[in-house]
Amino acid sequence: MAQPGIPVDLIMAKLVEDAEKVGKRAQKAADVMLGALDTELGPTAFRIVYEEDRVRLKHYMPAGGVQLKHPLLIVYAQINRETMLDLQPGRSVIKNFLDGGVEVYMVDWGYPTRKDKFLTIDDHVNGYMDNIVDFILERHQLSQLHLMGICMGGTFSVIYSALHPQKVKNLVTTVTPTNFDTNQGLLHIWMKAIDVDRMVDTFGNIPADLMNFAFLLLNPARLMIDKYVGFLENMDKRDFVENFIRMEKWIFDSPDITGETFRQFVKDCYQKNLLINSQMEVGGERVELKNITMPLLNFYGKFDHLVPPAACELLCQRVGSKDTEDICLETGHIGIYVSSKCQRAFSPKIIEWLKARDQPAGRPRRAARSTASVAAASGGKRRAATAAKAKKA
Amino acid sequence: MNDRSEAVAGPESMLSAWMKMATDFWGPVMKQWTTAVDSVEGQPEGPLPRTMASWSSYLKSLTALSASMGEGGSADAVLKGIGVMPDVLLRLLEGAWNSTFTLQRQLIEKAGRMGASVEAYQFEGLDQETFKAWAEIYKEEFQQFLQVPQLGLTRFYQEKAHRTLDKFLLLQNGLAEFANILYLPMEQSVKVLQEKVAELAEKGALPEKPKDYYNMWVKILEGHYMTLFKTPEYTQTLSRVLGACEDYQATRDDLLQDVLKSLPVPTNRDMDALYKEIYTLKKKIRALEKKAAK
Repeated sequence: MAQPGIPVDLIMAKLVEDAEKVGKRAQKAADVMLGALDTELGPTAFRIVYEEDRVRLKHYMPAGGVQLKHPLLIVYAQINRETMLDLQPGRSVIKNFLDGGVEVYMVDWGYPTRKDKFLTIDDHVNGYMDNIVDFILERHQLSQLHLMGICMGGTFSVIYSALHPQKVKNLVTTVTPTNFDTNQGLLHIWMKAIDVDRMVDTFGNIPADLMNFAFLLLNPARLMIDKYVGFLENMDKRDFVENFIRMEKWIFDSPDITGETFRQFVKDCYQKNLLINSQMEVGGERVELKNITMPLLNFYGKFDHLVPPAACELLCQRVGSKDTEDICLETGHIGIYVSSKCQRAFSPKIIEWLKARDQPAGRPRRAARSTASVAAASGGKRRAATAAKAKKA
Repeated sequence: MNDRSEAVAGPESMLSAWMKMATDFWGPVMKQWTTAVDSVEGQPEGPLPRTMASWSSYLKSLTALSASMGEGGSADAVLKGIGVMPDVLLRLLEGAWNSTFTLQRQLIEKAGRMGASVEAYQFEGLDQETFKAWAEIYKEEFQQFLQVPQLGLTRFYQEKAHRTLDKFLLLQNGLAEFANILYLPMEQSVKVLQEKVAELAEKGALPEKPKDYYNMWVKILEGHYMTLFKTPEYTQTLSRVLGACEDYQATRDDLLQDVLKSLPVPTNRDMDALYKEIYTLKKKIRALEKKAAK
């Protein structure tokens, strides 16, 4: 008897087998889902050391002692929250930095309300960011710190470094869009098509749910179907469920985006591509990328569908620094921070890179902390920078 | 027979009988009323209360009217009027009929035009063009009713309510169109999967695990979505639905502002003005602080 073209019997047998597996899985899943789950985000201990309006500054101290003379300030995007860098034990960029002896400060932009809708990029960069940098420098009696930006926070960091280069020792940009003249990412295509004025005038702040819906639409097959099919297949595994719920919590824990900031970001960056051409103006000053003379390390993801490589890879060519490095990891927008493969390639590389460029230390003005003996001499440099700024003004 | 012939004798006898009866009735009623008013105990001197004065005046008018109708000349005039009544009624009816007919005709013409206004689409590509066609029909034929200028004291509120309804209907259309375009890859991916399965069946290489079919489908679906999302049609539809959503929200907020104004709560507009002032002041203070610190 000839073998049939379609092995219906085998397919049916597998179906029955799968159905039995699903039954057993469902029984276990009920135990997992109804039991106690550890789904807390941001498990690493921190202190809030600075607050201004809705913005807070988190401070993380390495338990094993500080190995870098300059602290690292991390500036996250206004989209989603900075908890992504400290998602869970074993997948925490913050924890990796602390283990590497880096003292970390991280900006928590908080949840903008209606009263924040007038805040511009200038208010964020020359206002909150500059105040935070001044606070840290004052606290450490240093004239410079290391600055690291994530996504839109990276764009803010680039702008900040161009406007206040004297305060930034080293700059690390990760998945940071700076060149918007590309159609590689859907976001770039869509942002060019939207009427941002009408949007901001109508909504005030851009609702987080609207943004999240737009992000889901970037790949509905994977983000709205396949992801949950994967969850159903693994919901009997406690670790998987905990990790999945953590990620869900992070994804949908989204603050609104301040309206005027969004308006300028879309118009000047996505629609006119002014930043990479050093034509963008913030607070009445031109953002000249050639002013970025400090060392620059630029990370991006090869499969990033939000900020594609084309949006990132021009930066090193346009800045004034001669010490630049591009690193393209084979991952996506979030994978760069949370995938176990990238945990080995990302944080250790940054620690190593910063350590190599941490000297000469910012000279301290006076001994105020354990690291202050080195920091004290920086006052001269800082005063010089302030004097230069005053002269410029 | 005689009784019958008297009954249909003509309007003259009917009118005289009615006028006599009316005068006989209203005369005594008036007398009774005056006596009753005068006999009310404790009635103060001076003008009657407003209700009584009004009734007295009304009864006097009826009595006078009945009496005057009884005079010869008046009765003739009324009789002449009754004579021409059928003609007047006919003319009135004719006018009303013509107006109704014209309105009906206009409505039918409009209904006919509904097809004409979307003729370009032919309804052949019904799936793709239905929403555009409906939007066009709505804009051409229905929207104008919601845009009729309103009159009077409440005209602004009515206009706002109509505008909100208009934008809501447009949003529904936009959402339906957007949902439809998002559904297209699902439909297409199933078709492609069927073709692929048929191909594999021909080769005798069909996968045994159901999950393999799912994986195949998701991959196809992902590809279709990626293709769709890069098309100008999708971008335009997305822009349209976003625009419709913004329009609706703006008009709805505008309408709600009026409602909130009557309640003892501040509106968004009030708060925005306040926030703007605080923002400006804060900015000035910070700039001054920095200046002073230098």
